[in-house]
Amino acid sequence: MTYAQFHPNLAAFVLGGLEPEEAAAVRRHLASCPDCRNELRELEEVNRALEAGPPPADPPGYLKDEILSRVRAGELSSISERSSSSRNPHASEDSRSRSLRFVLPSVAAVALVATITLGIVFGLREEAPLATIRLLPTPEEASELEGYWGVAEIYPQPSGNQQVKLKLNNFDEPKPNSYYEVWFVSGDRRISAGSFTSVGEGGTRVWLTVPPEARNYPTLLITEERVDGDPAPSEGVALKGEMS
Amino acid sequence: MGIAVGDTLESEKRQRSSRSVIPQRADEISDEQCMAYLAGPEVEAALSKLYDRYSRTVFGVGLKILGDRSLAEELVQEVFLKVWRSSRTFDPSRSNFSTWLYRLTRSVAVDLYRKGARRVHPVSDGAPYIATASDSSAGPQEIVDKSWLSWRVSRALEGLDAAHREVIELAYFGGLSQREISRRTGVPIGTVKTRTARAFKSLREDLVVQDSSREAMQ
Repeated sequence: MTYAQFHPNLAAFVLGGLEPEEAAAVRRHLASCPDCRNELRELEEVNRALEAGPPPADPPGYLKDEILSRVRAGELSSISERSSSSRNPHASEDSRSRSLRFVLPSVAAVALVATITLGIVFGLREEAPLATIRLLPTPEEASELEGYWGVAEIYPQPSGNQQVKLKLNNFDEPKPNSYYEVWFVSGDRRISAGSFTSVGEGGTRVWLTVPPEARNYPTLLITEERVDGDPAPSEGVALKGEMS
Repeated sequence: MGIAVGDTLESEKRQRSSRSVIPQRADEISDEQCMAYLAGPEVEAALSKLYDRYSRTVFGVGLKILGDRSLAEELVQEVFLKVWRSSRTFDPSRSNFSTWLYRLTRSVAVDLYRKGARRVHPVSDGAPYIATASDSSAGPQEIVDKSWLSWRVSRALEGLDAAHREVIELAYFGGLSQREISRRTGVPIGTVKTRTARAFKSLREDLVVQDSSREAMQ
């Protein structure tokens, strides 16, 4: 029996997409047609397989542009990471297990350890990562650690915005009714890059988007904010990094 | 004289309009040829082509097995960057590109799953990049188990042309009856039924279990 000879509504019947009278007609036909019954069983297998299929969805359009931008930038970001690792051969982002216990001192008390990896990217390709900013809480805590606690990588986007990719390690949960906020700061001016929370041990990765003007704000702060409706930044700085 | 990927892609666009159920691939640049171009100056065009062909599958499988849109987006980004960075490790004599890409996707998905357990959660006005709750019931092994069939179904659906894929997506994933699909799309009911039947026939042929399943699961 060729395909064309099977009942034309079998597939729609399997999908449950027929009107009641049409479905009844298919059932009557199946009762007297063993070939179509066999065909039905195979079509039902297809229907069951569809259950495992992913829902129809397109990835967001900007993803392709971002990937191609990264490709255009060549291996610059990996060079940047290798550069950071070579300064501390024990640094392994995923290998640290110790929990961070950071205090929330004033901005003035927070020591800064920031390494900017810029030279490679400037002047070569516009799409290259703009900076890799290392973030640390205090030198006392940092001295007991291998590597850095966090890093912010900044990438250009085709839209002109910049993507800030935060990678934080063992970053404590915020206090109850609190969250973290990322700021780009220049003197007493600042731009909020967005907010997030963390679950403590392990790697916390956050993507944020900031306008191009953020490049003129050389200090990156992560503060802990209370959910109180007050948009003003708190004084509690968890991590800090600086672009030079 | 080498093949200009850009010209080939334009040629392919012109060919798409005449496709029936299954896109004609014979005259197109193959996935494996695209991989070879990744090592040369046509890298962007070649990667763009592979992205167009496979990003829906990678993203869809990510959504299916990770249960998290943000993780699925990360999966797409990581996978295609790895395609680019790892292109020299691809050996077409050992596996076809789709199988190789599946294994790569599965590997990255398992990594993301493990990291996902420590992932941030959204706050009130959080950016859309921040994860929503993920399916915590599935473990890495379950991801491996589920991903291959999910991948095959997605590839089978992607193998249909847009008109035939649309009726299946509206019927199966949208829950629409044939008559509702006809109303929604403006296509005559008879054509909807014919497309449904042809699409199912094509899916059945693509989803027949083959030895490549074992190859991919290794």
